[in-house]
Amino acid sequence: MQPFTLNYARPAVQLDVTSPYAYDSGLQLNVLPDGRIAATDHVTLRALGTTTSTAGSKTHFDD
Amino acid sequence: MTVLILTSEEDVTADMVVLRLGEAGVPVVRLDPADLTNGVALSGEYVQGACRGHLSVGGRLVSMNGLRSIWVRRPGTPAARAVQPSTWLTEESAQALYGMLRWSDARWMNHPDAARRARHKPWQLHLAQRSGLPVPATLITTFPQAARRFAERFPDLVVKPVSGAHPQEPPRAVPTSRVAPDADFSAVAFGPTLLQRRVAKRADIRLTVVGGTLLAARKPADPDAHPDDVDVRFAPSVSPWQPVDVPPRVAEGVLRYMADAELAYGAFDFAEDADGIWWFLECNQSGQFGFVEMDTGQPIAAAIADWLAGRPGPDDGRANGDRSAAS
Repeated sequence: MQPFTLNYARPAVQLDVTSPYAYDSGLQLNVLPDGRIAATDHVTLRALGTTTSTAGSKTHFDD
Repeated sequence: MTVLILTSEEDVTADMVVLRLGEAGVPVVRLDPADLTNGVALSGEYVQGACRGHLSVGGRLVSMNGLRSIWVRRPGTPAARAVQPSTWLTEESAQALYGMLRWSDARWMNHPDAARRARHKPWQLHLAQRSGLPVPATLITTFPQAARRFAERFPDLVVKPVSGAHPQEPPRAVPTSRVAPDADFSAVAFGPTLLQRRVAKRADIRLTVVGGTLLAARKPADPDAHPDDVDVRFAPSVSPWQPVDVPPRVAEGVLRYMADAELAYGAFDFAEDADGIWWFLECNQSGQFGFVEMDTGQPIAAAIADWLAGRPGPDDGRANGDRSAAS
């Protein structure tokens, strides 16, 4: 009784990644522990894939 | 006049735009509707024929009438982090917030009504056709026999979710997948199934549209890739995204699509075939753009900031800086 499409499903990859940045409500930006703005640190963003198109989002269809 | 950004705190892609707006001296209020009644507050009154409303977050107070634009980026479910969350409170909070925002004179990226409609992929395919964009032969059906006949006509098919959503119980991902030649289509009867002719692609295209500005990026396909590696999100990356000019006919079609969909922002996915034809796959009305900007250096965040600030972008009406491309 499984829909045809689900024959092609695979387990979702559970990313066990802790973001090294935290939201600063004063700046309205995420900042790194050393005070730098996270969005300017492309090395970190690439490593985390936080800006990447990601299939399987729980809350958003649009990637 | 203030730009209101509705998104989650951890949305670092939104930060790229907040930075640009800050550099331009444009006031910004950023909040997540999930924090309503627990960090975010609202009020609106209808007295003597006039409406007035306010939003408050983190010590900032903004008038509904003082909004120049609203960016619906990645908002959480209203009141999801309230002290006592409930389905009822979520509905109450959604009605209050979005109901009041709807009467502001601000322009939206994107308006919730347009966004809701634009998420329907079957509708996207129709609009793309109507806009003159090439669309691979597609079938959406619950008839197994229709699927079998479609597979006879188009033997090389892919299957993907109609909604683009992925099942959560348990969490699974459903990438765009190649259908085996001997597939048994009986299970098509148990759920709407989207079958599409596989485009033998030589590259993936991500075309980001901000107002009238078109910024396209191209990722060449791995020439040694297995034909079953269809979905760029799951296939190993062999090349970064690179800027590419938008063919004039595609630019015309995309701008027509955006106008008819009433969207201010859209992220289009195309598959480029061996003849250089860009085949429309989908348009994500809130698609990610950070990964493209980081690879290509294209000023997508700046273009969004300019649009939200109400300034025509330097490339408005142009495709990748080539004025002739979109004319």
